[in-house]
Amino acid sequence: MQQIWLITGPPGCGKTNWIRETLLNHGGTCAYLRLDGSTKEGLELGHNAGIDQSWLRDQIPQLQDLSDPAPSSQLSSDDHLVLIEAQQFSAPTPSAEGLDPQITQQLQQFNLTPDRTLHFGVDPELPKQDTLDFTKLEAWHLDLQGCVWDPNSLSSFWFELVNGAYGDVYRAKALMNMPDGRSFFCNWMVSQSGSQFLPLQSVVPPTGRPNRPSHLVIQGKGLIPAGIRSTINDCLLSDDVLELQQAPLREQQPNLQPTLPTPA
Amino acid sequence: MAHAVISCLHANLAAFQAVLDDIDQQGIKTITCLGDLVGYGPQPNEVVELVRQRAIPTCQGCWDEDIIDGLNACECSYPSQLAERRGHHAHHWTADRLTDDNKAFLAQLPTTLRRDKLLFVHGSPNSQHEYLLPDMNAFAALERVETAGAETLFCGHTHQPYVRELSGGSIRVSVQQRGNEQASEQEMTLPMRRIVNAGSVGEPRHGSTKATYVVHDDNTGDVSIREVDYDVAKTCRAIVEAGLPDVFAWRLSHGFEYAERAEDASHVCER
Repeated sequence: MQQIWLITGPPGCGKTNWIRETLLNHGGTCAYLRLDGSTKEGLELGHNAGIDQSWLRDQIPQLQDLSDPAPSSQLSSDDHLVLIEAQQFSAPTPSAEGLDPQITQQLQQFNLTPDRTLHFGVDPELPKQDTLDFTKLEAWHLDLQGCVWDPNSLSSFWFELVNGAYGDVYRAKALMNMPDGRSFFCNWMVSQSGSQFLPLQSVVPPTGRPNRPSHLVIQGKGLIPAGIRSTINDCLLSDDVLELQQAPLREQQPNLQPTLPTPA
Repeated sequence: MAHAVISCLHANLAAFQAVLDDIDQQGIKTITCLGDLVGYGPQPNEVVELVRQRAIPTCQGCWDEDIIDGLNACECSYPSQLAERRGHHAHHWTADRLTDDNKAFLAQLPTTLRRDKLLFVHGSPNSQHEYLLPDMNAFAALERVETAGAETLFCGHTHQPYVRELSGGSIRVSVQQRGNEQASEQEMTLPMRRIVNAGSVGEPRHGSTKATYVVHDDNTGDVSIREVDYDVAKTCRAIVEAGLPDVFAWRLSHGFEYAERAEDASHVCER
């Protein structure tokens, strides 16, 4: 039997992490969809850059991405779980499940009707996170496709970013490429202690610039995009430096092949 | 007689003035400076001129040397590309603004100063670029002090003030003269030696925004580490107004160094 659940909550409450755990524990087939969510005056949505999709597909290779228009036979299989993620700042009201009309409209576009709606900060089934009540929120994002970071510079930049050097950042997440072919899911929320730097299972050979999603998404107040861009430019490796770092890796491991995620 | 030892001013005039006020209020007449008058901060000429005006005996720091000789330290001086780019930016900004007269002053600074058994250096007796960290191997630390012929070595460069006493040190050397002769042994027991790091006036790295320096009593040998409040916001405004990266102001206002130390802090650049 197919189940469709809608998971909502404010930025950084742990929606994607909870979805990952739930999908990993689910015995049957599964699918995922990230909606743009609902916006309000003064509250900007984080750009849907595909970070969550990429991260979940790396962790759960058999996961079906419902935003992918290619049809899949999995939808009709038994024990199929569809989890839909949407950012919604306010908790739903008891009547009509409190779904924001913007989200309802997005669901209609995909012809999906949730069997259940769970909102972080309201439903006891979800972990009790520090869900923040935002009154004002700016969003900024940067496409970093093909960019490769100097690892120590990324560490310094991230430290400055989440500690307020470029405005009051409440939420930051990214997929960042390293010169050795790894990619890291970087995740930070003001209400949580510390950042997550989680390596993707998929590793590409160190042969130039990787062709996979890489993006930085930030939400906060008084953000300073010019400062962020300037620092990022100082952190990214040029072609020459990248080759200088990758050549010894290729010599050490001449038969390097791409490492693909192992199905759970 | 008490004397003050200051280091790593880094073109931070407000911090330097506050430290001088603190020294003057204690009636201390003798000041020694361990270098790095310039670098990262917004007022290189003002700081150099105040050092000259007060006629403070000063060693040459690594930044003072680089401004004169140009950037030729190896890339391992920086722990990251970001730190290197920022360091180079600050270097070129400073080199462009420092007057020829002040450059000439930095160029003629000695690398060491000595007063009796007190030795004053920026990094170590070996190099302005070497860090003598508080947890450095005790034998290596003792070697730095002993081979320089000092009882107390005053240094800076790490931006972390500390006093390290090296006692109970002994060195035993066994020398085999010829294959069939018994080895000759020599053992030397060393008296207590000390390393005193003055911290930093202009770029603190000890977890606080306060400027630090040390006061040494020549008679008793007592050393006290002084922390001085200064108008950090004033220097931060000057950084932004001078066109240096805004993030320098943010880092200073939070007690973070402008650029982190190299990963291998004991490394000395081959120049």
